[in-house]
Amino acid sequence: MALCQNRLQEERKQWRRDHPFGFYAKPQRNNAGVLDLKVWECGIPGKEKTLWEGGLFKLSVIFPDEYPTKPPKCKFVPPLFHPNVYPSGTVCLSILNEEEGWKPAITIKQILLGVQDLLDDPNPESPAQADAYNLFKKDRAAYENKIKRIVRDNPAP
Amino acid sequence: MDSDDDFNMSSEEEDVLEDSDNDNGSVDDFGFDEPEPDLGYTQKEQVKKEKRTFDTNFKVYHPDDIQAQQDDLIDEVNMILDIRKEDAAILLRHFRWNKERLIEDYMDRPKKVLEDAGLGPSTTGPPKLEVIPGFMCDICCEDEPGLKSFAMKCGHRYCADCYGQYLNQKIKEEGEAARIQCPQDGCKRILDAKSLDLLVTSDLQNRYHELLTRTYVEDKEQMKWCPAPDCQNAIECGIKKKDLDKVVPTVACDCKHRFCFGCALPDHQPAPCELVKKWLKKCADDSETANWISANTKECPKCNSTIEKNGGCNHMTCRKCKHEFCWMCMGLWSEHGTSWYNCNRFEEKSGSEARDAQAKSRVSLERYLHYYNRYANHEQSAKLDKDIFTKTEKKMISLQTASGMSWIEVQYLNSASHALQTCRQTLKWTYAFAFYLARNNLTEMFEDNQKDLEMAVEALSEMFEKPVDELANAKLKVEIMDKTSYCNKRRVILLADTADNLANGVWKWSNNN
Repeated sequence: MALCQNRLQEERKQWRRDHPFGFYAKPQRNNAGVLDLKVWECGIPGKEKTLWEGGLFKLSVIFPDEYPTKPPKCKFVPPLFHPNVYPSGTVCLSILNEEEGWKPAITIKQILLGVQDLLDDPNPESPAQADAYNLFKKDRAAYENKIKRIVRDNPAP
Repeated sequence: MDSDDDFNMSSEEEDVLEDSDNDNGSVDDFGFDEPEPDLGYTQKEQVKKEKRTFDTNFKVYHPDDIQAQQDDLIDEVNMILDIRKEDAAILLRHFRWNKERLIEDYMDRPKKVLEDAGLGPSTTGPPKLEVIPGFMCDICCEDEPGLKSFAMKCGHRYCADCYGQYLNQKIKEEGEAARIQCPQDGCKRILDAKSLDLLVTSDLQNRYHELLTRTYVEDKEQMKWCPAPDCQNAIECGIKKKDLDKVVPTVACDCKHRFCFGCALPDHQPAPCELVKKWLKKCADDSETANWISANTKECPKCNSTIEKNGGCNHMTCRKCKHEFCWMCMGLWSEHGTSWYNCNRFEEKSGSEARDAQAKSRVSLERYLHYYNRYANHEQSAKLDKDIFTKTEKKMISLQTASGMSWIEVQYLNSASHALQTCRQTLKWTYAFAFYLARNNLTEMFEDNQKDLEMAVEALSEMFEKPVDELANAKLKVEIMDKTSYCNKRRVILLADTADNLANGVWKWSNNN
C-alpha cells in the first residue's frame, strides 16, 4: 500500500516534469475533494499520419493496492470502438495483463504510449468486442470510415 | 528414505523389479489373477511373453528420481558446454530438456541460443546484493542511501525489496518458476536459481524448486504426474497422443492409483479416451435431463414435439401443430365422443397406433438410458466397494478368530474384494463403450463377454456379502476363490478382445449418437 502510494507520487512528479506531446494524465479528486492517486484521468491523442490523427480519447487508469506488482486497469470512457477494447471500455493489451507482459518497472508513460500504438495497430489475435472486430476483418473500408467519424466526434483541442 | 534406497539399487535388480511391475502393473496384484510366475531371473523371458495386448509399458518415478534425472542432465550439459550449472539448467528448460538439440544448437551458434533462452550477453561474477551510491529504484522510487539493490547480468537494477516482491508475485500467485523474466519492460533475461535464493525467503525458495521440478515433468511429453491426491510420483510412458484411438494406456502408480496415461482420468479400459470424453460430456449434459424427459413428458403423436403436461384435463392441443389428442390413450380427441375427461379407450386402434409411434421416437432416449443406468450402477457399486474393502479387513480379522484360520488362509477375501473393484471399473466402461458401437457380430460377441463378466461379478458380490459364520465354511471359501479367479479371467478376456479389435481398427461405430 505504501509502495503503491510512493510509486504513484513519483510517477506524478515524473509526468509533470516531462510527458509526451498531446497527452494528459492527472489523478482525480474524489467526492470529498481529496486527490485520489489511485484513479487517474488520462487523454490519448491519435498518432500523427494515422487514421486516428486529430482525435483525443479519454482513458481512466485505475491502480490496484498491489500496484506496481499488479498492473493498473485501463478503461476508455466512454467505451471506444476498437477491436481490442471490451464493450465495457477496458483495454486488452499484453503489457496490461499480469500473466503476460506486465512488469513492475512499466511506467504510466509507457502504458499510455502503448495504448496509443494499439489504436492504429489492432491485434486481431485477441479480439475484445464483436462489432469492431468483425468490421475490421470483413470490411476494411467501412471500418476506416467509422474510425474517421469517431475521430471527428472526439477532436483534440 | 525408501525412495533413496530404490534409487541406489543395483541396476540389475532394478531391471527385474521394473519388468515384473510392468507386466502385472495394469491388472493389480491380486494373487488369483493367473498363476503367479516365479520371478526367477531365468523366467524373465517367460514373463515377457505373457504380456497382454491391453497392457502398457510404463515406469514410475519418485520425487528423488525426478530430481536426480534433472541433476544428471544439468551436470552433463555443464561439463560438455562448460557453462555455469544455473545457466545449463535454464538452457535445458528452454529446450524442453532435449539435450541433444541443445548441444547441437549451442555448438552452431552459442550467442543466439543464449540470447533466446534469456541468458543475454554475460559478464562474470556470482550474483550479489549491492549498495550503489545515488541509486533510485524504478519500481518503488526509493532513493535513500544504503538501499540494497540487485541486478542480473542484464544490468537492470531494482531494490532488493521490490525484486523480492516481484518474485513473490510470480511464484506464489502465478505459479511461475522456469521462465521468470527480469522486471524490466521488454527484457527477456531469465532469473536463475542462485539469484533467486539471494532475494527471497526460504519457503519461497522451496516452492520455487518444487515448481521447477514440476516443469521438468510437464515439459516432457512422455511424462505425467500421477493425478492421485498427495501423490508426488510421475509416470513415464511411450504412448503418443496420436495412438490413443488404438490403445487405452492404463498405468498404475506405486501409490496404487490406476489411471489412463492418455487423459489422466481413472482407468477406463476398454473404452478409448476420445469416447470417454464424449460419454462423460453426454452424461454431464444429458443424463438427468433425459431421465426427467422420460418420466414427465410424452411426444405429440403427429409432430413429435416433446410435451410436458403440467395441469388441466386430458384434452391436449399441441402448441406447435395444433393436433388434438388424449393424453391418456394418445388417440385422436375427435374419436373420444362423450367419454371426455375419462379415457377408457386404451384398446382402440387409433390410440394404439399413436402409442407405437410414440414408442419409436422414444427408442433412442431409452437406448441411452439403458447404457447410462448400467454405467451409473457400476460406478455406484464401485464406490460402495470402497466401503466393502474396509469391511473386508474387519471380516478377515473376525474370521481368523472365529475359525482359527491363519492370516494367509483368509487372504482369499482380500483377493475377492480387489477382483470386484477392478471388474466393476471395467464393466462400467464397457457400457459407455457399447453405447457407441454399431450393431454387428463383433458387438454381439462383446456383449456376450460383458454379460458373462457381469453375471460372474454379481455372483461373487453376493457370496462376498455372506455373514462371517458362513464364510468360514470351507466349501464356500473354495467357491469364492473359484469365482474370483473366474472373474479375473473373464475380465482379461474381455479386455484383450476389445484391445485387439481396437488396435486393428475393426470396431464399427454407431453414427446416430
